[in-house]
Amino acid sequence: MTTKRILVIDDEPSVTRNLKLNLESGGGYEVLGENRARNALAAARKFQPDLILLDVMMPDLGGDDVAARLRADPLIHNTPIVFLTAIVSNKETDGHEATIGGELFLAKPVDMGELRKTLEQHTRN
Amino acid sequence: MNSESASAFTLEAVDHFQGFRLLRTIKAWPPSLATTVLIGLMAIVGLVDYLTGLELSVSLLYLIPIALGVWTGGRATGYTVALASAAVWFAADWLGRQSYGHWYLPVWNTMALTVSFLVVAALLASLCEVNENLERAVAHRTRALQDEIAQRCRAEGELNQALREVREAHAELQRTQFQLIESAKMESVARLAAGVAHEVKNPLMTLSLGADYFLARKLDNDDETQLAQDMKEAVKRASSVINILLDYSRIRPPQLSLDNLSLAVENSLILVRHELNRQRITVIREFAPDLPLVQLDRARIEHLFVNLFINALQAMSPGGTLTIRAFASDIVEDAADQAVTVELDDTGHGINPQNAEKLFEPFFTTKPPGQGTGLGLAIVRRIMEIHGGTVRLTNRPDGRGARVTLQFHSKFEGK
Ligand SMILES: Nc1ncnc2c1ncn2[C@@H]1O[C@H](COP(=O)(O)OP(=O)(O)OP(=O)(O)O)[C@@H](O)[C@H]1O
Ligand SMILES: [Mg+2]
Repeated sequence: MTTKRILVIDDEPSVTRNLKLNLESGGGYEVLGENRARNALAAARKFQPDLILLDVMMPDLGGDDVAARLRADPLIHNTPIVFLTAIVSNKETDGHEATIGGELFLAKPVDMGELRKTLEQHTRN
Repeated sequence: MNSESASAFTLEAVDHFQGFRLLRTIKAWPPSLATTVLIGLMAIVGLVDYLTGLELSVSLLYLIPIALGVWTGGRATGYTVALASAAVWFAADWLGRQSYGHWYLPVWNTMALTVSFLVVAALLASLCEVNENLERAVAHRTRALQDEIAQRCRAEGELNQALREVREAHAELQRTQFQLIESAKMESVARLAAGVAHEVKNPLMTLSLGADYFLARKLDNDDETQLAQDMKEAVKRASSVINILLDYSRIRPPQLSLDNLSLAVENSLILVRHELNRQRITVIREFAPDLPLVQLDRARIEHLFVNLFINALQAMSPGGTLTIRAFASDIVEDAADQAVTVELDDTGHGINPQNAEKLFEPFFTTKPPGQGTGLGLAIVRRIMEIHGGTVRLTNRPDGRGARVTLQFHSKFEGK
């Protein structure tokens, strides 16, 4: 089984750090955390992730802008993006991932079990 | 009012008296008939006079046509009949060839009778006129009263109409005010909620990830596992509070989907669990099995139940009981439709029936300032409207508290 590469873009270091810790300790994932939205594209190019977890609300650049930049890049544009958001209630996502306006969402706080399921389903092969 | 009914009463009484009715009929005779009858009567009396020769005693009979003349034709006719009667009397007397001692006796008698007849006619005519005047006055007064009543009714109607319009305008104003405040409140709440969600959920995420991490590693003992699970549970609860705020603040069209009412009730109970425990409230659930699903906007319906639970909690003293009943019943008019009723019974102080009408009005509250805004039930009613349902707040039949009755329709598909 190959390790999947996950790029986490979130302005909270504790979130990126702990996601990395959880996913990597469980095995099967290699995680890179990036806390500055402006560095997202550069990080993605360098890391070549199989999936990107992207926070919607970040102080320097919004998640939608980051996504637009990522998708405009020929190297990255095929990489699936799952948004993480604090302002969607679990009821709307029903605790699972949800599609809003064609985008995949996970509501914060994310449950690791749910996260793993989503990753298994959507990472590029 | 009183004088009107009193006069109506007297007029009726007069009408009911048969004699008066006959007199009225006679008075209404056409002149030709009256004349014929008068002449006929005088002829008969004259004939009786002539045949019997009783003279003066018979002469009293002439008073009949005289009275009738006055009654049917008035004063002038009365005088005419009086003179005519005297003439007939004289003729009958003369033709009867009564032997008088002196020539002047019949002349004297005739004169005396003529004067008597005229005096009687005059008296009767005066009486009739007095009566007529009286009737005219009564009729006049009656008409005036009727006019006055009609006018008052009209004025009262106009006043009522104006009052209705003012009331409607007031209600409309209140509705608009409510909507304005609600949307203004929503806008600021939405911004606040988004900010709070961001600030609180990120740290919650860190906590949750930490707990997940410990749970994933085989912990040394059950206590530690339990601790980590409690931490996750705590995170879930805290985040559900934020979710209420988010759901509440969102202005969005209703999102209806076929859903289970009892699940919605359970979820809402979780949201007020802390308060229920603090007040040691017993919750009794009486859900009928296989309740039909109904179209629900889950977030809104939970908001509705939370409002109702909080009202019940605020009405009850510690140790109270909240009974939640749900059952379906067939609808007579439509076999395909079913009514799904939810009843919430509390053991609180109940409602004052005098306020029953107002409870659902925005800003109506009986709670001290700062404790209630009076928007809770107004929002509940709006949410029920979205669901094509109704809500009522009454006292329980057993008098032990208040009862909220919600009614949904299984067939409702949204508007
Ligand atoms: N379960 C109940 N028992 C007794 N009275 C009730 C109950 N529910 C509501 N009421 C009465 O109805 C009034 C209006 O209720 P509503 O929920 O609209 O406003 P509120 O509770 O006073 O304020 P808010 O809900 O805005 O905090 C209350 O002030 C209370 O008098
Ligand atoms: Mg209330």
